[in-house]
Amino acid sequence: MNDRMIQWSLALLLIGLGAALVTAVPEEKKKGEPKVQKVRISAERFHFIPSRIRVKRGTLLEIELSSQDTFHGFRIPRADVDVTIPARGQGKVKIRFRSRKAGSYPFECSRPCGAGHTMMRGTIVVE
Amino acid sequence: MKDFPPAAAAARFGPHLPMLLLAIVLIGIGTVPANANPPEESLGDRLDRVESNLERLIGLLADALGGTLGEDVKGELQSLAAELKTIRRQASRVEGPAPEAEAVPEVEAFPEEEAMVVAEVVAAPDAPGVSAGLFGGSMPMSGYMEMHVNHDGLNPTTLDFHRFVLNLGHMFGDRVRFWSELELEHGLVEGGAPTGELELEQAYLDFLIDPRFNFRAGILLTPVGIINERHEPTAFHGVERPFVDEVILPTTWFAGGGGFVGDLGGGLSYKTYVMSSMDGSLFSAEEGFRDGRQKSFLENARNLAWVGRVEYGPLPGLNLGTSFWTGETGFQFRDLDARLRVFEFDGRYRFDRFEARGQFALTHLDQAAEVNASIRRTAGINPNIARGMRGFYLEGSSSLVPSGSSHDVVGFYRYENFDTQYRMPEGFFPLSQFDRSAHILGLSYFPHPDVVLKLDYNVMKNASRVVRARNRWNLGIGWWF
Repeated sequence: MNDRMIQWSLALLLIGLGAALVTAVPEEKKKGEPKVQKVRISAERFHFIPSRIRVKRGTLLEIELSSQDTFHGFRIPRADVDVTIPARGQGKVKIRFRSRKAGSYPFECSRPCGAGHTMMRGTIVVE
Repeated sequence: MKDFPPAAAAARFGPHLPMLLLAIVLIGIGTVPANANPPEESLGDRLDRVESNLERLIGLLADALGGTLGEDVKGELQSLAAELKTIRRQASRVEGPAPEAEAVPEVEAFPEEEAMVVAEVVAAPDAPGVSAGLFGGSMPMSGYMEMHVNHDGLNPTTLDFHRFVLNLGHMFGDRVRFWSELELEHGLVEGGAPTGELELEQAYLDFLIDPRFNFRAGILLTPVGIINERHEPTAFHGVERPFVDEVILPTTWFAGGGGFVGDLGGGLSYKTYVMSSMDGSLFSAEEGFRDGRQKSFLENARNLAWVGRVEYGPLPGLNLGTSFWTGETGFQFRDLDARLRVFEFDGRYRFDRFEARGQFALTHLDQAAEVNASIRRTAGINPNIARGMRGFYLEGSSSLVPSGSSHDVVGFYRYENFDTQYRMPEGFFPLSQFDRSAHILGLSYFPHPDVVLKLDYNVMKNASRVVRARNRWNLGIGWWF
């Protein structure tokens, strides 16, 4: 085996090691990154669409909230979340939700919006 | 729990010391100080790792001891596991939103930093902040008001504070809720004089059982059509409500009763109530059943009506609805079975800056001839009540300013066709002036999403060659809070 072959072998080995490191690091990172599930909820007198959301335990749920009419509220009583959803055309609100415990997490409109306000509700089901 | 003397343990585990050292190193990795971990890792995660390593240690020990563990070792390990749980609880108090977590035991999983629920407002330029609304624990007050100027070229121009409405609600715990609507119409109520009205249009309790099945009782809005349950001035275009929602569907239509409400998921929801009926002795040719509403004042409860409504919203912005109401209305007269049936369907669709909505309503009154005859006998006049009424409207609207603007101007056009003499009982002839249509063109200016200034012009038509329909213009201001 001449020197040139040794040099080439070392160079290939280094490249291989480098490639392994480059690919291994993101893979390692991917494992640590949380799973994200995105959902858009539209609020309108007097319902949320969709009103039932299913999510796996531990998955990060990103909820984008917008209104089709007036201001609404979005409250998850078991999670200490209560935000105002701006009126139509006035912007959106984003909520992040994650639970490691399975169960139902009801949400509801917390800003009086009219005759059906008391029943303007929905549920996040953590499975 | 048995003692676990270090000397005895050393003698027992001596041959397996390398394995134990490995296990200890593993535990050590799991319990290195916080600053040795990546900054985003929470204490909860580190405790998870310790737990996992403890399980591995148990496995290693079991392997080292030939698949069995002594009771003393098991006891010690259980003690360690219990201690770990204690540490986890203590950590949750340090890291998480402790008061919430302690107040609500079901969400003990939340205290870990990454398991917490977090809320973030990403785009809400004019959002008025976090609401302390109905379910925020406080007693809320909301309401709406509207003032109109009406001019029809025949009668004097009028300025009328048409509606002053206050809503009150209360929450009796998580499962019982109260909602009400008290309305003063036309600004003045005076004993005996033909002035305004003070009405209790809603006052009910909701008993929350399941999202799909809940009970409601009290004074309720009849769930028929678009406007009856969504009659805030910012919720519809035009100074006055659509004609179809005044003479065919008599908004605001309310009565005492009770029933069930539910959200079946997938955008499908329903309401079904038993309510007091309408009083057929007060029906008329021009305004149909409008005056027959009993309005929760010593209502006749001998003959109850049934109403059901189904709404379907498969997409954001799209809503389809249909309603059916049926009730016996001849209870003021003997031997009369004047059952009234009302059928309706409606739809709304919003896309970007455009919106379209439409509604169709049809009614049928049994024994209409007998109702007319009974009223003529008692009141001395022939009311010429129809056997059937029909009305529909179609409306298109569009925002006229760029999206994202804090103000909005919406232009709209609505065509309405409504006939309160659509089908007459045998021996009665329709009055053609009540076969009407209207073209309504107008603007709604929203300086704030819940405040509106309205202007519209109504071109009125009817089928009569004798009675002329009068065009009119309306100016109004309304707000909702």
